[in-house]
Amino acid sequence: MIHLDRLTYAYPGGLTPVLQDVTLHVAEREFVLVTGPSGAGKSTLLRCLNGLVPHFSGGTLSGRVSVAGHDPVADGPQVLSRFVGFVFQDPEAQFVMDRVENEIAFALENQAVPPDEMRARVEEVLGLLDLTSLRDRPLETLSGGERQRVAIAAALALRPRILVLDEPTSQLDPLSAQDVLETLVRLRDRIELTILLAEHRLERVLPHVDRLVYLQGCGQPVLSGWPREILGQMDLTPPLITLGKALGWKPLPLTVDEARALARAQVASGRREISRPHPEPPPSRHAASTSTFSEALLEVERLSFSYGANRVLCRVSLAVGRGELVALVGPNGSGKTTLLRCIVGLLNPDQGRILLEGESVAGRDTADLCRRIGYLPQNPNDLLFADTVLEELEVTLRNLGLSDAPPVDPDELLDRLHLREVATSYPRDLSVGQRQRVALGAVTVTRPRLLLLDEPTRGMDYPAKTELVRLLRQWQAEGTGVLLVTHDVELVAQAADRVALLVGGEIVADGPPSPVLTESPMFAPQMARLFPHSGWLTVGDVLSHLRPLTSLPLCGKLSPDDNFSFPGE
Amino acid sequence: MLDVRAWLLWALTVLVAASSCRNPLYVVLLLLIVALTDVSFSAEKERRGFPSLFRFAALAVPLSAAFNALTVHFGETVLFRLPGWLPLLGGRVTLEALVFGLMNGLVVTLIFGGFSVFNRVTPVHDLVRLAPQAFHEAGVVVSIALTFIPETNRSLNRIREAQAVRGHRVRGLRDWLPIVVPLLVSGLERSMGLAEAMVARGYGAVSDRSHPLRLQLLLAGGLLALLSGWLGWLFFPGPTPLALSVLAAGVCLVVGAVWLAGKEVPRTRYRSRRWRIRDTLVALGSVLTLAAVQLPIPMIGRDTLYHSPYPRLSLPSFHPLMALLLLGLLVPAAVAIRRRPR
Repeated sequence: MIHLDRLTYAYPGGLTPVLQDVTLHVAEREFVLVTGPSGAGKSTLLRCLNGLVPHFSGGTLSGRVSVAGHDPVADGPQVLSRFVGFVFQDPEAQFVMDRVENEIAFALENQAVPPDEMRARVEEVLGLLDLTSLRDRPLETLSGGERQRVAIAAALALRPRILVLDEPTSQLDPLSAQDVLETLVRLRDRIELTILLAEHRLERVLPHVDRLVYLQGCGQPVLSGWPREILGQMDLTPPLITLGKALGWKPLPLTVDEARALARAQVASGRREISRPHPEPPPSRHAASTSTFSEALLEVERLSFSYGANRVLCRVSLAVGRGELVALVGPNGSGKTTLLRCIVGLLNPDQGRILLEGESVAGRDTADLCRRIGYLPQNPNDLLFADTVLEELEVTLRNLGLSDAPPVDPDELLDRLHLREVATSYPRDLSVGQRQRVALGAVTVTRPRLLLLDEPTRGMDYPAKTELVRLLRQWQAEGTGVLLVTHDVELVAQAADRVALLVGGEIVADGPPSPVLTESPMFAPQMARLFPHSGWLTVGDVLSHLRPLTSLPLCGKLSPDDNFSFPGE
Repeated sequence: MLDVRAWLLWALTVLVAASSCRNPLYVVLLLLIVALTDVSFSAEKERRGFPSLFRFAALAVPLSAAFNALTVHFGETVLFRLPGWLPLLGGRVTLEALVFGLMNGLVVTLIFGGFSVFNRVTPVHDLVRLAPQAFHEAGVVVSIALTFIPETNRSLNRIREAQAVRGHRVRGLRDWLPIVVPLLVSGLERSMGLAEAMVARGYGAVSDRSHPLRLQLLLAGGLLALLSGWLGWLFFPGPTPLALSVLAAGVCLVVGAVWLAGKEVPRTRYRSRRWRIRDTLVALGSVLTLAAVQLPIPMIGRDTLYHSPYPRLSLPSFHPLMALLLLGLLVPAAVAIRRRPR
């Protein structure tokens, strides 16, 4: 169905090719998962399939591409639109029309499908994606998952034989992401379709995938084959696979269910040697969490906030101590961002009070508060406007009148953020992870005592994430308190000292990570699901308990101190 | 739930009726019809509040009445006099002028009401889709622009907050830079993404169409006829059948040319709902009312539409058949009430 033969492509002005000698063959009806670190050319590869590369992007391409018997390079994206349906990362950025039906009909209108047939096809696609009840809805009233489903429907309207999705869930919260992935799995069973999906959240899709394509980037060859085979050769894998590899499980389990029996056997074989009874909290950093952070940095007391008649926060109480990292988790729309905006004074709460180092913040100016609070909004692009990375940091200092005596040397901060080599680059040319770090630099150059981070790992790949965790640890060691809002359970499992669960504007749980995370099924990390009642959250936790019990050698560079995790869940 | 075209006709009829009617009895009747339509098409939640129509009336009617009473000094029933040295205002203030101003306020409210109902029930996108096929590209562009505006507005708010958090304050013109730059850049990025998405879905799939010569000739001829007919009508006042027929021919030619050009466009248009019986009913009702207020049909008392309070206030005349025909505008409300589950 798809044949790439020694495909090499460089963007205009690019010194090194993004794709080098890529050879790939995909059969009809295969479900292919494309993964790899960011910047490895996943998007570029997918765009080659419908001719957006090189027709839209320019640049130089060599090698042979054949998709459904057509040559995208010669025919161009308009012709290929009949054979390849394309779904983009950001559901909002791909909508042309106002309502669900009209959006689906857009491609059909472009191909001059007669009105009666068009109506039938729209009906068919609506049914296929369970959108019939949403047909009249304006697109802006839909949830993220529903929007992405509409985008898939719109791509399928022309009955393409191939569906290509470029990280369709990276902008979505976990529930919406699951919604989209389940839709794909269902589609694959119901119609004849070859699916290519670029995705970070491997664990949900892995069980359904026929082929895994791993782009290593940096001119290294592309790996393609059976999922288990390729996973063995990958560095960045979901926690489950990492554990499976470390313990030498064969074949590698792809789901928690598959792994359960193996895990039980593993624990049973070592049980005789376990000195302590099992359900005991692991002796990790979590154990100390309640005692060392007695000195409160931020205290939120019975805070309530409403937008009009809509109550968003209801008597929320929360505290962050010096050097403590508190993770705030909860479903979409539960008021997490609203709470952060109240803390920095962008919103005025109806009731309750907020104390920063014992002083009330009520009536204080946002700019004034932000000398002591670093607030990183969800989208780093909203922050970046200067010509260079260094200037971005200096602007904040200038705004706050701190340029003469900066609390942190900007150069030193750039070193810490690993941005030294791009200090003179234009911030918007950088990768997602780098941009996020520039934005982080812009809000932390005042050396805030409290950091508020809103979804900092959105769209970040695995190395960028470990980098962020490392940085946060450093700041924590210097006494900075961190309030981290995130959907990323594995990140919480590895970084948080305490977890607060916000549901429907109320704090429903607040405490050390392992009880809070393991008690709610929606937020349980993979390790907690694999070893229920153990209190283990990360691969490191599991290995530090199991290693003494097993005679198996640990492969490669893994050690119990490594906290392997993967974006997802 | 009604077709946009039916609504368009309805709104047009309200507009025509409002502008050709100066009889307070009919105006109040029309206002009640519009208010009822407004209520029956507003969402459950909005219905509890005071309708915007009445809020508008509470402002427009007294204002218009006061203005007319103070500036127009005709009429025989003098209420009081203002000192003559006041420019414009000086002179007698009459009951007739007050009533006439009141009337005008009601008519303005009626026009506002018609528009606000129309605005509420018809999405702008649906209106854009009514554009002739020949203007397909323009239609798509307008449609995209309409979704771009609210999105840009949201993005502006987010950026302002993000900059405020960095201690940014807007004091002078230069301080807008940190807000405008991300806004423009993200807008550009969004446009690029959208363009890509549109191309990937086959936008512009069919090669550039050529305008055949006969089409161009047709359009040119139509415009020429339109112009000469209009000029003839201007220069020879009175009933000039020749000029009028040339004008009509011109209109026909232009419409025909646009229609033919639309047929050349290799695209089709999706309409989710077909024209139904209730659309026909609404259209019929509107046409009935339109005919009653515009055409000189005997027996329906068209001359009762206009009532002047000058020079001395008198009771306006009322023709029941006329009032009955105005009720043609009530069809949408009736349809809405029938469809609402109890």
